[in-house]
Amino acid sequence: MSKEVHHIHRMELLMDAGFGAQKAGDILIRAFAHSGRYVFIEPMIPAEISPPARSKPALSGTIIRVGDTDLTNIGNDTDILIAQHEIVLDRRLDDEEHNPNCRVLLDIGDQKTNEESYEMVCKRATKLGLKIFPFDLTDTAKADIKALAGKGKNMYYLGMISAMYNVPEETMVEEITATFGKKLKEEVLARNIEIFQEGHHFASNNFDFSFEIASAAESSQEKILIDGNTALSMGIIDAGIKIVCGYPITPASSIMHTLARSFPSYGGMVHQAEDEISAIGSAIGAYYGGTPALTATSGPGLSLKQEFIGYASAAEIPIIIADVQRSGPSTGMPTKTEQSDLLSAIYGAHGDNTQVVIGVGSILDCFYAPQIARYFAEKLRLPVFIMSDFQMANSYKVIPKPKAYALEENVDEIADEVLEYFGMSRLPDDIEMVRRDQSPPGVPGHMRRVTGLNTDEEGKVNYFAKSNQRSHAVRNEKIHHVQRSLREPEMIGDCQEGDILVIGWGSTFGALSEAVVSCQKQGLKAGGICFKVIYPLPLMLADIFKRFKRVVTVELAFGDYLKRTPLAMFLRSKTLVNVKPMICRATGRPITPMTIENAIKESLNKE
Amino acid sequence: MTTATEPSSQSPLTIKELNTENPRWCAGCGDFSIIMGIKRFMVNQAIAPHNTVNISGIGCSGRAPFYINTYGVHSIHGRAIPVATGLSLTRPELNLFIHSGDGDAISIGGNHLIHGLNKNFNCVFVLYDNELYALTKSQTSPTTRQGHKTNTQPAGTYLAPIKALRMVLGIGASFVANTADWMPDHLVNTLEAAYRHKGFSFVHVSQRCPHFDPYNFEHKSTDWFSFLTHEKGIPPDKRIADKTEQLQHDPSDLTAAFALANTDRTYFGLLYHDPAKPRYDTLMQEQVAAAGSKDRTKILDKYKI
Repeated sequence: MSKEVHHIHRMELLMDAGFGAQKAGDILIRAFAHSGRYVFIEPMIPAEISPPARSKPALSGTIIRVGDTDLTNIGNDTDILIAQHEIVLDRRLDDEEHNPNCRVLLDIGDQKTNEESYEMVCKRATKLGLKIFPFDLTDTAKADIKALAGKGKNMYYLGMISAMYNVPEETMVEEITATFGKKLKEEVLARNIEIFQEGHHFASNNFDFSFEIASAAESSQEKILIDGNTALSMGIIDAGIKIVCGYPITPASSIMHTLARSFPSYGGMVHQAEDEISAIGSAIGAYYGGTPALTATSGPGLSLKQEFIGYASAAEIPIIIADVQRSGPSTGMPTKTEQSDLLSAIYGAHGDNTQVVIGVGSILDCFYAPQIARYFAEKLRLPVFIMSDFQMANSYKVIPKPKAYALEENVDEIADEVLEYFGMSRLPDDIEMVRRDQSPPGVPGHMRRVTGLNTDEEGKVNYFAKSNQRSHAVRNEKIHHVQRSLREPEMIGDCQEGDILVIGWGSTFGALSEAVVSCQKQGLKAGGICFKVIYPLPLMLADIFKRFKRVVTVELAFGDYLKRTPLAMFLRSKTLVNVKPMICRATGRPITPMTIENAIKESLNKE
Repeated sequence: MTTATEPSSQSPLTIKELNTENPRWCAGCGDFSIIMGIKRFMVNQAIAPHNTVNISGIGCSGRAPFYINTYGVHSIHGRAIPVATGLSLTRPELNLFIHSGDGDAISIGGNHLIHGLNKNFNCVFVLYDNELYALTKSQTSPTTRQGHKTNTQPAGTYLAPIKALRMVLGIGASFVANTADWMPDHLVNTLEAAYRHKGFSFVHVSQRCPHFDPYNFEHKSTDWFSFLTHEKGIPPDKRIADKTEQLQHDPSDLTAAFALANTDRTYFGLLYHDPAKPRYDTLMQEQVAAAGSKDRTKILDKYKI
């Protein structure tokens, strides 16, 4: 058996929905993580619960990138792929994310009844240069699966994968037992383990290749395995937010699910409202009463909430909106990723609204974003957005355990490290409000009425010319305070000036930084910025842009030679620099580092 | 969470202290009487203004919070209930009064009314029912009577109105009362009963709109309505009690309440009262209280690998 040693490798497991592909992947990554490897995982989730088996929409799977250094993204192309049958393989080939030397392990259990289809898909794969390794389950495994009413194939595949990655059988059995031990009956667990072992032995005896991933240097630091939405949920608790109001919507619902279980133990409530509008209304009601509140949603919900967002800004009631973006417009692709809500967040509410927008590009961003969001929301008494997306929400990885701060009632107690993390200095102590008195209910002698109507400093409704002009000025000055507090954005790598500056925000951070650093290592003068606070932008931005011959964006949003993408359009308007979208894809798939690197090179070659 | 503090002055509350500015309503508007009723009720019951929040949506009724010197939220059209829900969950010690018109409550905010009633969180919900949109200048509302001419249905309103009382009984309201702006005594007694009920107290108020519909609600006549009386109910209006029928009605009898709400005759009084209906706000608060308090600095420990 030939053993290939890799620093970074990517595999994927493709199955029908409901057969446990993600569960198998989770067990594998635990084994990887326990043996000192870094992992980054992207689950592929169908938008429907149980699409018909052996159909393209049924594709459910997991992509695992493993390496000996910290991984910030899901990477480029897949090196090895296991498919339950030819249909899921065919579906996945559409995405064109395979390495030209990718090995395909194809389960031929369904072949007898689908000869033609198998032949066609295999031809397609072979034409693309992929090497197909057909395999069938052993009779013992088949008998076990029959006894488990058709479940358990994922364990066979897990056995094969772990054999190919040289993960010891015993280690895996420990992980399987730790994962299922309490949930499955002894007999069921035993069968699952047997299926796993069958797969492991089969692969060890029948394939003449295996992979060894170098192990990273051991560190004594505590590590956690967590996904973006869970990190955001825990960050909500850490930030001292006490109520989260939402309405079921993919891919934001998992924030409510996570918090529904753990929030009460930390004094918090999850309120499932009757609709998206009500959800933000209740969050605003709670915040008006002095209780930090957040509402979580995705695109369609964001559209519904816009009237209340504008209201919060006018009435000066703090509110935090977490928007986990998905493909649009309209219902779009609920389980695919996109960053096309940017302008809805910045400009979505009618009548010239003011707000702060934060973009999360890493698990750590997700964990700390609620703190900085609360800081902005309460200091400015304005709406604050936390913009995540499907990819960010569902991808998970192993990271050193971040410090929790347990922020209490007073947001001025926010740690310097957190402000530093978001690239800003402290806001001034006394920021002018439209109304002087901002007392919450319960304070005698300060009774006041808040409204979406324009008011004077006393809070009295006022339709006079000067008064409305003043209100706009005061609200915008709040944003200017943020702008003045934002430091020069962190430049990725070590290129401060040069030929090209690549800009992104949110979830493109990982791929963007990997690509830019790689280009820099090859001697290219390519710089990179990925904004954590995307609205407002720091004041000196135009000066930074001028240090580069060209400025381009990388966005998960559609653009072409006439249509500017949201980020490019926004940056142009703010800097008057001719910012062009370099990569503007709305495929629903994350942008790979290689795609960005190639685009940078192509762009530089055009000179 | 901010906790309410007691007022420094212990002198009794007066109507004057509850006044703010001159309301910008039309002369003769029923809304004047409604907020006066609320103020009288507050004085009678010594309700602390600083622990009271009046919450409204949009419309003539939406302005009510401005004219009562308590805390107030003039929110957006139809959405007073969501705002109040958030406050009830997090500030249970506050007295919450929701002011909503027929368009605000039953049209644009209809969904919230369904769920407010079902959640049964503690508040007094006052439906200012003038049977049309007034602030936007006379359009048909869900309660406009069939045939009444409006700016959007100038040939006469097409459909029969929604019977608000029947609707809320159907949804499962725990407290349903009916009163009118021109019966100050009955209005105050209704508000007191509504306040005593811990849950979502639905108070329907027939409200005159002399500007856009001067002939609606023949308030000088008593032929078209009866008072519901019961020892557990609301006493009939002193001034006109003897001028019309008084019908004995047990407010715990849901079937009888439905029958009354399903007729074309108007019945003022307490239609239905179920003090035992579970409350979403207290259930949620109890869940938090029972969960204990974990150390937030260890929040990530369960994700350790």
